[in-house]
Amino acid sequence: MSFKEKSAWVMAVVMTVAGLYYLKIVLDASGQIGMTAPPFPILIAYVVLVVIASINAQIILALSSPKEANAPADERERPMLDRAGNWSGYVLAAGVVTSLLHFLAHNDGFLLFHTIMGSLIVAQIAEYAFQILLLRRSS
Amino acid sequence: MTKRPPITNRVRELRELHGAMSQAALGEAIGVTRQTVIAIEQGRYSPSLESAFRIARLFGVGLEEVFGWEGE
Repeated sequence: MSFKEKSAWVMAVVMTVAGLYYLKIVLDASGQIGMTAPPFPILIAYVVLVVIASINAQIILALSSPKEANAPADERERPMLDRAGNWSGYVLAAGVVTSLLHFLAHNDGFLLFHTIMGSLIVAQIAEYAFQILLLRRSS
Repeated sequence: MTKRPPITNRVRELRELHGAMSQAALGEAIGVTRQTVIAIEQGRYSPSLESAFRIARLFGVGLEEVFGWEGE
């Protein structure tokens, strides 16, 4: 397994766990106050979790294979990473359009925030999943 | 499955002729990962022209002694 694939697996796990954590605190907060929670504290908690977990995961990965960690993507990997980014853009666009249509129908700004945020998280997870798929398919 | 490129190569053979050079060492010498060297040897990936020249120069042979065209 290449370093890029290992990295994609680790980041997919980090983003999935963080995304589930975000979903849980949004649902908990919304249950407590009877509406979708104000986003700022939730957003801060989510961003802090993602940053700390990503840095730790990347440090552990880099320590396990320092030479590969410093190397940029090679000529075979670059188009795959680009394609994964391109495809995840479609996932993001689908989420954003769906969120906007929902907002037009229900006029709920808090929910719009959370669905856009959810779309960003899902698109990021999808990007890592596409990277894994493309890298595995060609190796 | 991705379509195989119509290009054959003797990279594995040349690598073994050159003191059984490892795939990782070849990858490092030409600036690609070991996985890319494996993909080239198995005919699943055609290297860029630059990498093809790097491989040929590393083994001290011409480009056409390393790579060939398969089929029509």
